Amino acid sequence: MAVDLDRCTGCEACVTACHAENNIPTVGDTQAARGRALHWMRVERYWEGEFPDVRLKFRPVMCQQCDAAPCEPVCPTYAAHHTDEGLNAQVYNRCIGTRYCANACPYNVRFFNFFNPSWDKPLHLQLNPDVSVREVGVMEKCTFCVQRIKAAEVQAKAEDRSLKDGELKPACAQACPATALVFGDLNDPESEVSRLSRSPRGTKLLDDQGTQPKVTYLQRQSSE
Amino acid sequence: MDRREFLKASAITGASATLAGCGHPEHQLIRFIPEEELVPGVATWKPSICPLCPAGCGLLVRVMEGDAEVVRNGQIGLIKMGLAKKLEGNPAHPISQGKLCVRGQAAIQITYHPDRLRHPLKRTGPRGAGAFQEVTWDQAIDELASKVGALAEANNQGALAFWMRPSRGQRRELVAQFLHRFGAPPPFSFELFGEDVLRRANALSFGREQLPTFDLARTRYVISFGADFLGTWNSPVSQNIGYGLMRQGRPGQRAKLVQLEPRMSQTGANADEWLPIRPGTEGVLALGLAHVILNGRMRSADAAGRAGTLVDGWMNGLPDFTLPHVETLTGIAAARVERIARELAESAPAVAIIGGAPLAQTNGLFHALAVNALNALVGSVETPGGVFFTPIPNASSKPDAAGERERRRQSAAPTLDKLAAGILSAERPPIQILLLDEANPVFAAPPAWRVKDALQKIPFIASFGNFLDETSILADLILPDHSFLESWVDDVPEAGTTMAVASVAPPVMKALHQTRAMPDVLLDVARRLPRLNPPLPWQTFEQMLRASFEALPARAAPQTTPGVQPAVDVWSKAQEQGGWWAETPAGTRPPPNVATRDPGRPVSFVAARFDGETNEYPFHFLPYASQAFLDGSLAHLPWLQELPDVVTTAMWSSWAEINPKTAERLQIAQGNVVEIASRHGSLRAPVLLSPGIAPDVIAMPVGQGHEHYTRYATGRGANPISLLAPIVEEETGALAWAATRVRVSRVVGADLQLILFAGALRERPHEHEGR
Amino acid sequence: MSPTTARQIGDDLLRPLLHTSWRFYLVVALLGGIVASGLGAWAYQVYQGFGVTGIRWPTYWGFYVTNFVFWIGISHAGTLISAILRLVNARWRRPVTRCAEVITVFALMIGAMFPIIHLGRPWLFFWLIPYPSERQIWPNFRSPLVWDFFAINTYLAGSLLFLLLPLIPDFALVRDRTTGWRRKIYGVLALGWQGTTKQWHRLESAMQIMAIAIIPVALSVHTVVSFDFSMAPVPMWHSTIFGPYFVAGAIFSGIAALIIAMAFLRRFLHLEDYLHPVHFENLGKLLLMMSLLWTYFIFAERLTVWYGNEPSEMAVFWATQRGEFAPLFWTMIVCNFVIPFPILSLRRLRTIAGTVVASFTVLVGMWLERFLIIVPSLSHKQLPYSWGVYRPRPVEIIITIATFAAMALLYVLFSKVVPIISIWELKVGGQSMPVVTPKEEREADGLWRARP
Ligand code: SF4
Ligand code: SF4
Ligand code: SF4
Ligand code: SF4
Ligand code: SF4
Repeated sequence: MAVDLDRCTGCEACVTACHAENNIPTVGDTQAARGRALHWMRVERYWEGEFPDVRLKFRPVMCQQCDAAPCEPVCPTYAAHHTDEGLNAQVYNRCIGTRYCANACPYNVRFFNFFNPSWDKPLHLQLNPDVSVREVGVMEKCTFCVQRIKAAEVQAKAEDRSLKDGELKPACAQACPATALVFGDLNDPESEVSRLSRSPRGTKLLDDQGTQPKVTYLQRQSSE
Repeated sequence: MDRREFLKASAITGASATLAGCGHPEHQLIRFIPEEELVPGVATWKPSICPLCPAGCGLLVRVMEGDAEVVRNGQIGLIKMGLAKKLEGNPAHPISQGKLCVRGQAAIQITYHPDRLRHPLKRTGPRGAGAFQEVTWDQAIDELASKVGALAEANNQGALAFWMRPSRGQRRELVAQFLHRFGAPPPFSFELFGEDVLRRANALSFGREQLPTFDLARTRYVISFGADFLGTWNSPVSQNIGYGLMRQGRPGQRAKLVQLEPRMSQTGANADEWLPIRPGTEGVLALGLAHVILNGRMRSADAAGRAGTLVDGWMNGLPDFTLPHVETLTGIAAARVERIARELAESAPAVAIIGGAPLAQTNGLFHALAVNALNALVGSVETPGGVFFTPIPNASSKPDAAGERERRRQSAAPTLDKLAAGILSAERPPIQILLLDEANPVFAAPPAWRVKDALQKIPFIASFGNFLDETSILADLILPDHSFLESWVDDVPEAGTTMAVASVAPPVMKALHQTRAMPDVLLDVARRLPRLNPPLPWQTFEQMLRASFEALPARAAPQTTPGVQPAVDVWSKAQEQGGWWAETPAGTRPPPNVATRDPGRPVSFVAARFDGETNEYPFHFLPYASQAFLDGSLAHLPWLQELPDVVTTAMWSSWAEINPKTAERLQIAQGNVVEIASRHGSLRAPVLLSPGIAPDVIAMPVGQGHEHYTRYATGRGANPISLLAPIVEEETGALAWAATRVRVSRVVGADLQLILFAGALRERPHEHEGR
Repeated sequence: MSPTTARQIGDDLLRPLLHTSWRFYLVVALLGGIVASGLGAWAYQVYQGFGVTGIRWPTYWGFYVTNFVFWIGISHAGTLISAILRLVNARWRRPVTRCAEVITVFALMIGAMFPIIHLGRPWLFFWLIPYPSERQIWPNFRSPLVWDFFAINTYLAGSLLFLLLPLIPDFALVRDRTTGWRRKIYGVLALGWQGTTKQWHRLESAMQIMAIAIIPVALSVHTVVSFDFSMAPVPMWHSTIFGPYFVAGAIFSGIAALIIAMAFLRRFLHLEDYLHPVHFENLGKLLLMMSLLWTYFIFAERLTVWYGNEPSEMAVFWATQRGEFAPLFWTMIVCNFVIPFPILSLRRLRTIAGTVVASFTVLVGMWLERFLIIVPSLSHKQLPYSWGVYRPRPVEIIITIATFAAMALLYVLFSKVVPIISIWELKVGGQSMPVVTPKEEREADGLWRARP
């Protein structure tokens, strides 16, 4: 994934798209006040300077799918583990809820189910049947919409071809009106995302942590 | 639904089937007929239209088979049906181009909302108490028809009023036709953040009574006067798409964005230059820029054409708008104004945008005309990279539509304050029957207009809305509409594209509840009225839509020969792709839809008036459309309640934004509760310190503070509209919602929670620590 | 009353086993009630969901892990101290070792509960155990939590053995002095001890081996516990100092716990004749040394962080030095250094009362230390947007209090059924001595003379 911070407007379409796609529950005001809201995708905002020379900077942050993911080795049950494709997978059934992985993740993108999720009926009819609902005590996080990746792969295989660049988009990238989020195969040097990752504006979030994140942030430019 | 509930529900269904099956075969159960095109586990995608804001984005809805618990004829049962699972933008649609905003993503929760009204209701208790009893559709429609019929009997057709949310397209057309044939005034709309001032200005400047479209993708310079065009204003999705392209869509070229506003909006946050301008002086700055351009001979005065002549002193180089004077009025340094003017003139194509708070001042029309003149001066009107007006397709099946529109224009549309005052002052209210369609003026109007009191005086109110809100709770009869996913929808976008667009879509799924589509109910009522003249020619809304779409040209062509059959089946194609659209080649767009008329006297700057004395009410009060809830109509959606506001990161709450310096002076800390009072009301809210707001401005998002609006919004936070003064834009009579002044005081001991998602304000909070 | 006769020692130390006063029942009922409410709170937490605690994003560890580290730290009182004292053959140790070893076993048992209490799905805790299962996966041996599992279980097993071995002759003694069902039970526990030379010889060698073996285990346990933190890239956790720092802190709090336990035993079991001021004095000196060592560690830790000026670490640094956690931080410094240092360094104050006061403050300070390692760091990780505060909720507070009650309860019950001071060792120490060096002889004389 590449995130073009010069395009991102902070509109948060990605945030709600992720909720809709991934059956992320809302927790309500009391629990939100206690820090239990789950947002696999969040748009960070940071103020810079003082009034009137003040600026605001947005940064969408989701799981960075680190190549050297610190969340993986600490998990005692392999619930957080690396797939052959290089994704940082989260196997909900295997998670026993130590929350260790979340401590280890420098990006704080791992969210815990403090209660069994619930949907006031019939809101549950919206749930995506392709994504499991996580029970109490289980850690969850952005999966790069692995269900979409799998579906596209199966489709491509059925049609006996390889995946085309841009053919599949995670929900957030699909929604993003400004096309700030670009998803693709980093192993394919010709893909759009590979091209963007090589951009001189490209940086990695918390690069110094040695996590080797797979998300590239293209820095905001200035017209000054 | 888990397996146990499934079994339970199946058992109920089975048991009642046995019971019902014995004596009354006609009381059949819901039959388990799967929809044919549905394969379990396989998604299909169907077009629809986002109903949440006037932008009218085209949707694609992911539909999959599922089990829904439904009630039919008083019996609960499980039914296998296609269920909408996710909304995405329709890639073919010219407005949304495959994208959606955060609100559009959440729109699906309307259909599945637990507090949706599920069947017709008749009031039992006193008005506003919320006591209703279930009635059948026959009873409900009979009652409505007989009430309306009685009005006709009494020859008092003019006392029927229909208030609906602003919309275009056949839904509104049907209502208009019905009212017209019945003899009632045309449908009325009131919106807090209505755009009447801008429409009027565009009619005057450019002959187009319509909101503008900006070609951001090709522009090089954008100067925006208070328009949160990336957040909530006008056509946010298409504008966000354009913004992405304007920044990084052209290699090596990146347009600049300058934003002028006293409170940093989402758009301001993205600006290269953010200038906190003094409220009510935006037009002065626009003319200051024009002054520099004119006097620097960068453009000639007549380049602005008619838009220029509307401004007093334009042809003389705007002598009243010298840089020092502009600096005094606006608070923006003269050198800066001069530089921006030069950049603007040199960076063609450039575009100026005005929207939001500047238009909601007493002198709003002046600001809009000034910005229009500036646009015309730099040559941005209807040129690539500039301002366009979306061609409105002639999607009309109505024989007398033009006449109706003309009549509407002539009978100068009343404003809500006048309507309310009329009802309150009359012995016998001029409105005897009020029909409401998702309009909530009780929430959205300043308290001084006393809309609720006025509504209380109307003898009969019926509401078609899906939810109980502050207005529909006053209704005597409720005939709940289908959700947009369950009904035929259509729209004619007013802005957001240079193509002519008429959107349409069939229902995406079957109705979950015992609701009925408002247009069909209206047609049903019309059929039961003896005196509709001439009667409406359609049996169903679908028929009306079909007729209107079949009247559209098959291909966009400047001149369609009348009577020639379209080459393709417009109607089927439109249903399939979610609408009809056509690029109208430049130069052949339809003539301005407002007859060129005498522009009247040129406008000049008159200082904005504010309600409240400066010394007693030292702060400008700025309510703004919230990213999540817009004008409050979306506060019932839990996804949006739990969405961290992008600037403040607040969830599930109201807040008041105050500059940290001001707060320090008033000894207020983050999260403290303050009382904000205007001359017309007061409210309490927790304080949020925001570095991006002028020291003399207090801002609050609109949306919370509902008295009645489902379990998620009721009783949550405060409604800033309750502070607003009944002060209007002087030329148009539109509510000047940014012209109220307030004072602020700390309330000790009050316990209102500010729920924030984020921890710190800054990325390097300890950067400047001494070592 | 002189303890110099073997008979007398036996009578005194077996008294609590054979006579029960109403006070015992009262204390047990009280403590039992608190423990029961703790168990109730846990049941409530499991039933309702973990959200009844104050744990939140991003502060995912709080009171429970604090308690875990704290109690595992306390466990270093016993076995480690006792093993060292045994190895250096400090004769004053004899009345102390068993009280200490018991602390280890119980503190470990309580501490080891916390990782389970803290789990989101505690009913699946056994997935940490490597057993062949239908899932066909072993636990992830790269996870420090799995290391914890092994380290703690090894230490627990070793400590149990270390406690039980020297109990055998005492069980035999009780067996011989009782009748009826007690005789039967203690008979079993005595494992057929007859007091033959061979048996004595084997016991001594076993103790010698255990004493040597248990020291690295003990050191490793808290090193591994420190690895739970230092292995994660969390600001101010990712530190090489953590191993020794944790071990020092553990011994520090362990000694404090031991002093308090001894003071209680002395008072309530009337063991004034066996636990002398010199014991407290000596342990007080040890405590002083650990206080200085601990202070050195925290100084070194803070200094290097401050000097290094890494932004994300500085956020945690400032939050603790003068931000929201400053009151707790400075309380900790007062409790761990400012109060105990003068008390323990002035001989006049290093009395029983003095050392007990110092030990209490050290326990408070060390609990705060564990808390301050965990919470400020987690609530101030690298991305400031995700910072958040942690406020414990009643469930956690009740469970925390209940563990202290559980410790006391286990201790009370234990001293009811087992001689809390090693009778045979005292006898050996007081009368015939198998190995006596001249230095030890002098010590022994001093010991008995110091008796009031
Ligand atoms: S971002 Fe966090 S959760 Fe995602 S792979 Fe990296 S460390 Fe793991
Ligand atoms: S919370 Fe779950 S995924 Fe995370 S480390 Fe613990 S068991 Fe593994
Ligand atoms: S990739 Fe999918 S799971 Fe990850 S943030 Fe985007 S929508 Fe959510
Ligand atoms: S949807 Fe795109 S533009 Fe909007 S906040 Fe997310 S990344 Fe930014
Ligand atoms: S801008 Fe958003 S709310 Fe408005 S129509 Fe488009 S998707 Fe819907």
